[in-house]
Formats: sequence, C-alpha cells, structure tokens
Amino acid sequence: MNPMLTALARMLIFPGLLFAVPAAWFFLWVERKAVARMQERVGPPFMQPFWDFMKLLGKSTPPRPGIAGFIMRAWPLIAVGSAAGAVGLLPVLPLSGGFEGDLILLLALLELPSICIIAAGFSSRSIFGEIGSAREAALSVSYNIVFLLAIVSIAASQHTFRLEALAAMHPTFLTVLGIVAILICLPAKLHINPFSLPNAEQEIYSGPMTEYAGPELAMWELAHGLEWVAATGLVATLVAPHIALAWGTSLLAGCLFVVLSVAVVLLLSVLAAATARLAIDSSVRFYWQCTLIFAVLAISSALFVRFWL
Amino acid sequence: MKLWKRLMCTARRKSPWLFHMNSGSCNGCDIEIIAALSPRYDAEQLGVLLQGSPRHADILVVTGPVTNKAVNAVKTVYDQVCGPKAVVAIGSCPATTNVYIDSRTLSGPLDKHIPVDVYVPGCPPRPDAIIAGVVKAAVLLAERGMNATAGPPPLAQNASGSAQDDSSVGSGVVREVQP
Amino acid sequence: MNILTMLWKNLRRGYQTLLFPARPKVTARFRGLVQFDPAFCTGCAVCRMRCTSRAIEFKAGKGEFTWSYNPGQCTFCGRCVEGCVEHALKEGHTEHALSQQQDTPPIYVTQGELKKSYTVARRPPAPKPAAAPVATPTPNPAVGGTQ
Repeated sequence: MNPMLTALARMLIFPGLLFAVPAAWFFLWVERKAVARMQERVGPPFMQPFWDFMKLLGKSTPPRPGIAGFIMRAWPLIAVGSAAGAVGLLPVLPLSGGFEGDLILLLALLELPSICIIAAGFSSRSIFGEIGSAREAALSVSYNIVFLLAIVSIAASQHTFRLEALAAMHPTFLTVLGIVAILICLPAKLHINPFSLPNAEQEIYSGPMTEYAGPELAMWELAHGLEWVAATGLVATLVAPHIALAWGTSLLAGCLFVVLSVAVVLLLSVLAAATARLAIDSSVRFYWQCTLIFAVLAISSALFVRFWL
Repeated sequence: MKLWKRLMCTARRKSPWLFHMNSGSCNGCDIEIIAALSPRYDAEQLGVLLQGSPRHADILVVTGPVTNKAVNAVKTVYDQVCGPKAVVAIGSCPATTNVYIDSRTLSGPLDKHIPVDVYVPGCPPRPDAIIAGVVKAAVLLAERGMNATAGPPPLAQNASGSAQDDSSVGSGVVREVQP
Repeated sequence: MNILTMLWKNLRRGYQTLLFPARPKVTARFRGLVQFDPAFCTGCAVCRMRCTSRAIEFKAGKGEFTWSYNPGQCTFCGRCVEGCVEHALKEGHTEHALSQQQDTPPIYVTQGELKKSYTVARRPPAPKPAAAPVATPTPNPAVGGTQ
C-alpha cells in the first residue's frame, strides 16, 4: 500500500487521533479514579474527562490581540499534534510497520509538549506563568538526561533504533534496568506527584497554564492525556515481547499492550497517591544525584556489552 | 445544532469547576469548602474540581463580607472568570454581611458588586449544603445555556424574583434534571 | 511502607463518601433556623435586643406587633432562644415562642427570599394564656432589601 496513505492512517485513525483521544480520556479517568479510591473517595464518573473537554470547548476566551495572542493559541495545538503523532508511532499491533529510527522520532515528539508548556508560560506574560515555566524547565533538564540515557542504553544493547524490533525483543537484565529508570522518570514527565510542582494549584496559581481558558485549556488537557498514552505505551512496548503469528494472536498482543499501559497508569497512580509534592530543589537533586548514577551505569554496561563482548 | 447545544449544556452541568475567593472571611466557610472536597463529602463524585486560576473555573465561590480593600480584587477576579459563569455566595457574610453589619471597613454585601446566583446560608454552612449550592449553580448554568435569553441576575436592591422551591435541591437534582 | 499499607487498606475498605443527595444527620444540639410560635410570644423584644446580627426585627404597633426574621442575616448563635427561655421562666410561663430547628438552612437564589414576618395581636397579660391570640403569618420577602 502507498506508504503515505499508511502513514496518514496510522497518524489519524489507528493508533493515531481517532483512537488516541478516547484512550487519553480513558487513561485520565483511570488515574483520577485510582487516586480517589486510594484516598477512600468515590472519584469522578466514567465520562468525566469527556464532559470536562466538552465544557471547556463552550467557554469564551479573553481577547488576545496581535502576534502574542497568535503564539499563545498555537502552543496547545502544537502540543496536541506532537503528542498525537507520538501515539501514532507506537507499535500497538505487531507487524505494523515503522522505520529505522522511529524511536528517535517518538522521543522527540514526546519532548515537544513539555517545551510547549515552557514556552506557553513565558509567552503568556503573567508572572505565575514565568515562575511555573522556569520550574518546568529546570525539572525537564534533570529528568530528560536520565530518560534519554536509559532509552539509548536499551536501544544500544539491542543494536536497533526501531520500535518494532524493540517491541519484539526479550528482556535482559540491562533492559530491565533501563525500564526501571524510565519508570522513575515518568512522574516528572507527566506532572504527577511527587514531581507535580510546575503545574501545582494553589502554589503558583496553576503555573504556566494560568492565562489559558476555554478551548485552549481543552487542548492542553487533551495533550496531557495523550502524553499519558504515549509514555505508558512506550513502557509497554519495551516490556512485552510481541508474539506475531496469525491475525488472531496479533489482536491478543494489541490487547496485552493496552492492559500493560493501564497497569503502568495504575502503578503511577499509586505513586501519586502515596507521595506529596517535592519542592523544585529536591526534585532536581533527586534526578541528578540518585538517578543519574543509575542511568550512567546502564549506558556504560550497554556500551560494554555492545563493543567488548 | 440542537444536539450540540444539549451536549454543551449537559457538559456544563456535569463538570463545574470552582475557583475559591476569600473577600475578608473569618475562614470558617473556607474550611468547610475544603471539607466539601474531603473524602467524606467528596465533591469530585460530581465532577467538581478546585482550580488554581480564575480563568479555568466556571463557578466563583466567594466567602466573606466584602471588605473595602477586597472590593477591587473581587471585581477583578469576577472579570477574569471566563463566561458562562456563576457566582455562589457561601455563608451569611457575602449575602448580608451577617454580624458585621455596622462595620465601617466593609463595602456591603456581595451582590452590590457582582451578580450572585446562589446563596448558601449558614455560619458556616455544612459541607453538604455547600455541595448542594454548587450543584444548583451548575444546573443554573445548564439552564441558562438552553434558553439563551436568560442572563445573570441583576445587581442588588432588586429582590423581586420568584421564590424558588428549594426542597428539590437535596433530592438527586444532578441525575434528574434533563438538559 | 506505611503509606502503602494505608493505601491498600483504603482500597479494601472501599469508599467512605456520602453519595451525592444523601446528607448526614445533624447532632441533637445543632442550631439551625429559628422557629417562631406566635401563640406564646408576649412581645417582650428580648430576642431583638440579644440578636448579634440584627436578623430579628420588632415593630410595636397599636395593640399588635410585627416580628420578622431574616435567616440570611442570622449567624445561628442561639442567643435569641436563650433570652426567650430565660424571660419566659422569669415571668412564670413554661412555654416560649422561640426554638431552633435542628436542620440545616435551605439554599436560596434571590436576596431576602427566606425572610419571614409575623403580625401578632397583643393579648392581655394574664398569667395563664387563656385568650386565643390572633396571629397572621405574612411572608414578606422584599422588606428591608439587603440588610
């Protein structure tokens, strides 16, 4: 089939926008409900993220004339686009194609929403936005090093940068080390406790998002949900080996993928319910002191295995 | 278009986001608002979230008799809440300045400055009463969306509205009202 | 580890929330709306004097008086009820006009909506309240505006 058409189908239909958006709402609901149940509360009903999205679409936005308004409106759309693209690259079903180096593209696309948040905070010219963006930038620098080193170590040990191949690999000790490092970086990437300082409510009036309202805020929430899907999907890709035989088992593999992603969401919800928010200096210190050693160990052993064994 | 409008009004009823503003209160009502979000009363079962920025919220929850220094703040925050919006006055202070009726540092009850939709009396009101007030405000937002001619209530000194039947509030309004 | 065992216990125990329309029962001494019984009121106006927030208004007329109460203004302290009870005991009566409802006040939508007024004809000050008083409760929402 025409590769352009396949790419478009993957981007827009499966596992792209059409499937990713309901999946984003579902994952957001799972997180909120799990945290609520662990706090002995009932939690929101099933369709709650959908209703939040609809309501936000119906609100008015404050007037934002000129180029600054245009830029402010562009950031949430870029965030949604890149997060949806990241979800579109995930190998949910086995034998779904992909190309050499699509892991790098996935990482780049997964990086963009954080950059958009930082830029949005500065471009909104509100002091709370600036403080929130500065904190987000500091945190982003810290966890990204660990995140990228862990992924590169896994890829180097498998001799490939292709998501398909990584999905089919069998886990070794090194890859398990890398996956644990990635899981430790995920709370900071997804802005949940204990690293939720950048968009903390009542801390700095919700940080970089302070000036956003209405449909723009709906797009930010959607980008957040899509980030959840993409990040947990990445972990699920690395964890489960694909058994690609006939069409029947590939559907099973797809279901296993979704189940693994939900399991990662639940794990992160337990972490979010169990911890309080760390201040920015503690968060940065955590990533530089504790986890960097971990990641350096992983990548040096990967290189050792690759070149000297 | 009709379907879209109904969808939008259901969404407004099911997802009321609050912003809490204290205009000089003794903090009793503020503590009860926090209690309304605690596990025992759990406002999140109705989709209520406390937001950090007035631009994110639809319902402005105000406590406290409006002190002289808070007047501009209240008006600014009210203007910053993006429409459609509703205001809930929690406690007897924003409704009638309660025991501070002769104080010279006050600027009158809340509806002299911003239009108020729901009053929740009590000193402080119980958390379940606060949740009932927020739900009533959410239902009002949905109804206002359906008949687009009705707008927010007029400012002060104009208490000639029809007396509503408040006994229906406590009986599952969120699940029974059709948008 | 402590927090993880706590979370697990919370999950096992289930939610402790009151599902929405259900409201908890209030305790026996909860102070709610003030109730007025015109049959026992002698028009002493002790309640108006003791009220902390001017929720009670008292207008004496010729042979009758008007008592009104604005729950929106009330702070539910109970001083009016205490004063009524004391005054009744001092006069030798066993019943008194004011009591406090043990339930939460209702929410309302228009300013001054819950205000209630009663016009009570004065009765002769007999020790036993033999003569039947004439009482007409007149709900009067727009009196006084935003006091």
